[in-house]
Parts: sequence; C-alpha cells; structure tokens
Amino acid sequence: MEHGDVNVVYSVQFELPLIMYIAQYFFFTGLSAGSFVISVIATMLGRKEFKPIGKITAILAPVLLIIAPLNLIADLEQPLRFWHLFLFYNWTSPITYGSFLLTAYPVMGIFYAAMVYTNRNTAAKVLGLMGIPLAISVHGYTGFILALAKARALWNTAAMPTIFLVSAMVSGIGLVIIIAAIRWKWFDRKSSPEQKEKDRKLILQLGQFMAYVLLLDLFLIMSDILVLLTAHEDAYEVGMLILTGNFAPLFVGVELILGAFIPLILIFGPRLRNSLTAVVVASILANIGVYAMRYVMVIGGQTVPLS
Amino acid sequence: MAEKRYAMVIDMRRCIGCHACTVACKAEMAVPLNVNATWLKIVEKGKYPDARKFFLPRLCNNCEDAICARNCPTKATYKRDDGIVMVDMHRCIGCKYCIASCPYDVRYINPLKNIVQKCYFCHHRVDAGLAPACVETCPTRAMIFGDKNDHTSEISQILATNATNVIKREMQTNPQVFYISADEAAMSSVQKRISYHTGEHYIKLRF
Repeated sequence: MEHGDVNVVYSVQFELPLIMYIAQYFFFTGLSAGSFVISVIATMLGRKEFKPIGKITAILAPVLLIIAPLNLIADLEQPLRFWHLFLFYNWTSPITYGSFLLTAYPVMGIFYAAMVYTNRNTAAKVLGLMGIPLAISVHGYTGFILALAKARALWNTAAMPTIFLVSAMVSGIGLVIIIAAIRWKWFDRKSSPEQKEKDRKLILQLGQFMAYVLLLDLFLIMSDILVLLTAHEDAYEVGMLILTGNFAPLFVGVELILGAFIPLILIFGPRLRNSLTAVVVASILANIGVYAMRYVMVIGGQTVPLS
Repeated sequence: MAEKRYAMVIDMRRCIGCHACTVACKAEMAVPLNVNATWLKIVEKGKYPDARKFFLPRLCNNCEDAICARNCPTKATYKRDDGIVMVDMHRCIGCKYCIASCPYDVRYINPLKNIVQKCYFCHHRVDAGLAPACVETCPTRAMIFGDKNDHTSEISQILATNATNVIKREMQTNPQVFYISADEAAMSSVQKRISYHTGEHYIKLRF
C-alpha cells in the first residue's frame, strides 16, 4: 500500500440512480425472450408432442413483455413524460433502441400467439422466425444498456449482452418447465396415460436443455469474472465486491450455488434423473438465481462510489 | 476566430477547502438539500504530526465527448456550441441513465423538480459576460474560468504553462475541468480494502 500504515478518510457523494425496478425489468424481459425462443423451437420442430409447450410459451412471451416495461415507467422520475422516448429519440442511446423494440416485440408476439392457437402452422413458423431476432434484440439490448453506461466497471464489458441473453434462456426455460409441470399435474385430465408419460419425458428433456444452457451461462460468468479480476483497478475492485465483498452472499451464495450448482446436481444427479420434482425444483432455483444475477448486476454495479 | 470553448482550471496549490464554491453554487442555482452540483471531496492522509487534508472541488466536467449526452434517450442532455453540457428540464424524463453512465458522479436528481440536474458552468452568468458563481466566490482564486480557444485569455495561458490533469482520462470523455497539483488519492475513485458505512448521503471509506 502506497501510504504505509496511514489512515485515509474520504468524504464522497454516493447515490444509487437505478434501483430494483430496473433489475425486475431485466428479469421479466429475459423470461419473455426465453419463452418466445422455446415456443418458436417447438413450433419449428412441428412434432405433435411439442404442441402444448409451444402454446403455453406463445402466450407467456407477450404477457410478460407487457408487464416488463411497466417497471421502466414506474422507475422514471417523470412517468407521464414517457412519450418523450418516442418523439425525441436519440439513436446513440440504447434506451431509444429499447423503446422501439419494446413496442414492436409484444405486437409480433400477439400475432404469433394468434397463429399458434388457430393452428395455422406455416404462418406461425414464418412469424416465429421473424420474431426470433426481435426477441434476441429485445433482451440483448438490455445488456447493451448496462455495457454502454461505461462509468461502471461491472457493466462495461463485452460479455454483458451475451450473459444477459444466456441467463434469459435459463430463466425462460425454467418458467416453461414450471408451468408445463403444473399443467401436467393438475390441469391435464383428458390425455391418455401414454400421452401423459410422453409429456413427462418432454419436461425432463427440457430440464436437460436448461442444464446445458446453465453450463454455458456459468462459463460466461467465469470468463467475465476472470477478466474483471485481471483488468484495471476499478474492475478488480468491483470483481472483489461480488466475490468476497458485500454482494458475495447474493452472487456466490444465491446466484452460483443455489441458482446454478444445485440445479445442475438436481438435473444431472444419477438418482434424480427421472424425477419430475427434481427438475421443477431445479427450475425454481435457477429462476431465483437469475433474479439474483440481475440484482447483483444492477445494484452491485452501482455500489462502488465513482469519486 | 474559432468558436468559444469554455473550460475551468482549479489550482489545488491555492485551494484551502473552505466550501465557498459549494455554498455559492447552492445559492446561485437553487440546489435543494442533500444534493450538490459542486461539492468538495476531502481526503485525510497520515497520522499526527505528519497529516494533511487534501481537497478536490468536484463539478461537472462539461466533457467534450460527454457520455451522458450520448446516452440520453430524449436528447434532454445536449451540448451547447460553446461546449457547455445542458439538461433541458422540460425534456428530461428522469430515467437516470445519465447518472448511471457519468464516470464523475456529478449529476443528481432534483428532489423538488424530479428531473436530473448538474453544473452548467452557470450558463446564464457566462452569457451575461460574468464568471460562474463558484469562480467569482473562490477567496483564493483557485478556480479560473474562461474561453480555452481565446489565446489571450487567462485560462489558455495557464493551461499552456502549467502541468494539468483531468479526472479519469481513460474514460475518453475529454473533460474540460483541469486540475493543477491535485492529489492522487483525491483524483482516483479506486480504494483498496474498503469498508462501507453508508450514511444518508455520504460514505466514509477507511483504510
């Protein structure tokens, strides 16, 4: 240390501009984009057993994306001026991309859901394929919102948009699993036992899919942290904040252990492999983990004072 | 003649840490309680008898390449032709993205008007040919304000003949507030082994 055994006292300003609403918004768009992608995959494969999942997710995506921007408007200091976003847009600001994407995407989602529910398969496929880039950008841009706010070392990394997209897939698949399991258990009385067994297998398969995406997410988080710890001073400081500092319980405890490692054990564990309960618990935990990730990113990123 | 480019030099050899700039700014710009457009960062170093306080008056750098202006979704934050970064109070929606993006922590939410505000180099005084309130008030003349592009001005002579520095050069913002002889710990935001004691508005960082 450069000052030896001296005592240095600072007085600096500190405030948290972006609060819980923003973390919550990121979580909801993530859920929406993730479930839309699952829905389109199910539609594109066109197999009959995927139909129920395609339908559930087709309805989830626009509903979640109508809830999500309400968080944004609630976060504004002047909520009634939200229309300024459309009238006085600024193309260098990621929020401007967002305001247009957030308008276009739910509209597309509603049309897509209508096609899926009326069994117009070709139209659903075309709309779904057109919607995937929209779904990816509607969630990818949230990563850019953080990455381009370059004052904060935790946000200003190239990995940020990808981490957001991949964790969105995790939470989206998790939500689909939870809802499909509820439907399987309590609301699906008409199907034959063979059909029910098939549906159960399908949910288990989705669980496996989620686990692989979770592994990819873990790899991205690892590379992000590794680079943070070896990059410049601010990055090191914020890296240590989430690894060993005030945000360690949330980051290491909830996001990594509860939200990633335990779900992986529940899904890949040899005895639990065939258990629907294990997959559902894993999905709930993964969603809690992703929510914690949004919180750590948004609030933790702003915790280190800038002066 | 080239167009005007307003800038400020703060000479830390002259600063006595009297907070007069903070008070003048509060009075001139009607800054509400608990927020500041200009404020003084204080660093205490050392143990008695080898101890000293270091100061750093902080205000908006009115950056040449302002991140806040680039990121503002409604163009409420914009640059005037003379380099001053403004906030249109009727345009601002209070999304606070500029506060999150600003590396210098100099923007604040006005709790009475519910919009984002900051230091504008007292544009109303500058337009009338006066110096900003903090510069006018500074009892030791540690703050010097003027047109950087005018080679006869005091500020361009000082900038040409002194070793100056800016806060966080690496942010590529090209700040327009220059410091002479500022302490490294006061300029840097990075402190190792921090413990946070979050008060109402201030944090004390202690080694």
